[in-house]
Amino acid sequence: MPVGAQPRRRAVRRVTGLARSTPGRLSLLALLLVVVALLAGGLTATSVQRRAAALEAQADRSEPLAFAAHEVYRAMADADATAAGAFLSGGVESAALRQRYEQDVAEAAAALSAATAGGSRSPELTAALSALSGRLPVYTGLVETARTHNRQGHPVGAAYLRQASDLMRSELLPAARELYRVETGNVVRDLEGAGSLPWPELLLGVGALVVLVLAQRWLTRRTNRVLNPGLVVATALTALSLLWVLAASLLVVYRSTTAKEEAALVDVLARARITTLTARGDETLTLVARGSGTDYENDFVERAGQLTDLLARADGWSDASSVASALEHHARWQEVHRQVREADERGDHTIAVALALGYDEGGAATAFDALDDSLVDAIGASRSRLTGTMGRARGALGGAVPAVVVLALLSAVAATFGLWQRLKEYR
Amino acid sequence: MRWPVVVVLASLLVACAPVPSAAPPIGGSPPVAPRPADASELTGRPGAATAPPASCDPTASLRPSGPLPPPDRLPAGSTMERVRQRGRLIAGVDQNTYLMGFRNPFSGELEGFDVDLAREVARAVLGDPGAIRFTVLTSDQRIPALREREVDVVVRTMTATCERWEQVNFSTVYYQAGQRVLVPVDSEATGIDSLGGKRVCATKGSSSLANVAAASSGPIPVSVRNWTDCLVMLQQGQVDAISTDDTILAGFAAQDPYTKVVGPQFTAEPYGMAFPKADEDFVRFTNALLERLRADGTWASIHRRWLGEPPAPPVAVYRD
Repeated sequence: MPVGAQPRRRAVRRVTGLARSTPGRLSLLALLLVVVALLAGGLTATSVQRRAAALEAQADRSEPLAFAAHEVYRAMADADATAAGAFLSGGVESAALRQRYEQDVAEAAAALSAATAGGSRSPELTAALSALSGRLPVYTGLVETARTHNRQGHPVGAAYLRQASDLMRSELLPAARELYRVETGNVVRDLEGAGSLPWPELLLGVGALVVLVLAQRWLTRRTNRVLNPGLVVATALTALSLLWVLAASLLVVYRSTTAKEEAALVDVLARARITTLTARGDETLTLVARGSGTDYENDFVERAGQLTDLLARADGWSDASSVASALEHHARWQEVHRQVREADERGDHTIAVALALGYDEGGAATAFDALDDSLVDAIGASRSRLTGTMGRARGALGGAVPAVVVLALLSAVAATFGLWQRLKEYR
Repeated sequence: MRWPVVVVLASLLVACAPVPSAAPPIGGSPPVAPRPADASELTGRPGAATAPPASCDPTASLRPSGPLPPPDRLPAGSTMERVRQRGRLIAGVDQNTYLMGFRNPFSGELEGFDVDLAREVARAVLGDPGAIRFTVLTSDQRIPALREREVDVVVRTMTATCERWEQVNFSTVYYQAGQRVLVPVDSEATGIDSLGGKRVCATKGSSSLANVAAASSGPIPVSVRNWTDCLVMLQQGQVDAISTDDTILAGFAAQDPYTKVVGPQFTAEPYGMAFPKADEDFVRFTNALLERLRADGTWASIHRRWLGEPPAPPVAVYRD
């Protein structure tokens, strides 16, 4: 027999003996209750924290990033349409068109830097982001070269503009579309993370309660006392924690579901706006191509169909007056576009250009601007509803994590205190 | 006594652990010059540039059936009468060839030698040079547009060739051009023969592209949609030269003083107005018109307006 086995066996016997005695069992029970209270409290707090983190990510990162991506896409599509329009207007472009183009480029660059700053979250966007920031200066360089040649009356200016537009449509806009797609996907993912049903919280809370009730029953049988005040307080505290967490989480789930609908509406409206801009570019480029622009016109017809669908969907979801007026302006624009095409087919190119660029009552530019303005209003309104909903959801979770932790600690203390009262009787 | 050894060992281990020695490289692709839409290098040889059949003289057109009738006495049932009923002549032109057919950036109007001749046709048929609708065509759209009857006439630096005669009809020659080469002013090239292995630009579907591909020095043909796309690529250093008719090259040289036209004319490019194959009456009518324009000095004045002091106009040749 090795030296030292004897004392070890004696120690084991002492522990098992202690476990068989009532005071020993009471101590073990106290230990168990403390562990259960702290474990359940800690895990619940983690779960609530995860939900809060998803809400925070949605509000502070993915939603602003999705909006930045939308801005990049929109500003670039608008710059393309505006540059073509400025070219079409003949001679030196109007100050208004020039200013609009410059503003588009500035906004695209600003939104792009915002999108790039948050890009580390989606590594798959690296290629799209570097294409956007690398090609935007090339695009503006081509447009400026086109302007310089235009000013000297050289037809090669039109070729530079075509090259710029082709670069925009074949590289920049697809990258912007990819950026927008991924960032909107992140919004939906965060909302789904925040809106998952609180099953872990429920199971943990109920489990802790069951353990407490069983402990109570065991104690009643052992000590012939109906209630142990400490355990009763511990049970009440655990139940309070569970109810708090459930109420707050269910509120967040409800808000997230609403927010998902709002986000889908924002997405539909944003896509409608980009489709509007692309269609406007098509309308202008058809006239620039002068007879050989069938591809652009076909694209316009396709975009107009998509726009009708998108606006109808948005109208079904939202009773906002801006969506209704967007539909009206869209119909008016289609009517003017038909006149533009008729004039162009007839050979009245000058009249067609005047109609397309016209800022008077019956001009396509007026209808297009009105449509764009209504879409801006509609996007602004549903975006502020979305952020409002998310703000209320975050408010509901406010204080839940510290509350769960404090209640778990108090519950552990109460359970220990309750059992300590019984243990004292064995002194 | 043992502790210092452990500490030294541990610090050695830490020192050997892999530590990033430099900042990670910044990603990003090498800059690629944007190309004009549809630009491509040809690997094989495009069709055409085959030797014309011995019997064919592409400059010989149909003889006028008499003196030019005034607009209000056009033969009934003729193509011209149909155009008159419509109220507009539909002419296929270019908006990218400076001095021949181009869009004036200030007015937005189409102008040039070809455009003025098309207006003369409108004046002869409808009595009004403004009764015309222009359709802008690229080189390779010219013959399909005529076959589909989308246009009545094409006046667009179009060379009469025997191959094209099989699909369309040409008027008599209204301008005699020839293919040459445009290079940057500091280039040492002296003509198409010194451009072996260099990239040379021309438009898709043009006879110039076929001639470049057929050149014995073996240049690499690069095809684009519009002539001005060639100038863009030359200015961006994406091609080494442009080779096409001297008229078009003169327009380029006028837009960019850092280019020069070099070498002799190595092909003859007789320009004719092109018509759908069925419209023989319109061809005869237009040839009568061209006879008059040559005789009364209108041709010379249009030439002076766009291309400088006029030579003697090309002589009409007929095949009956």
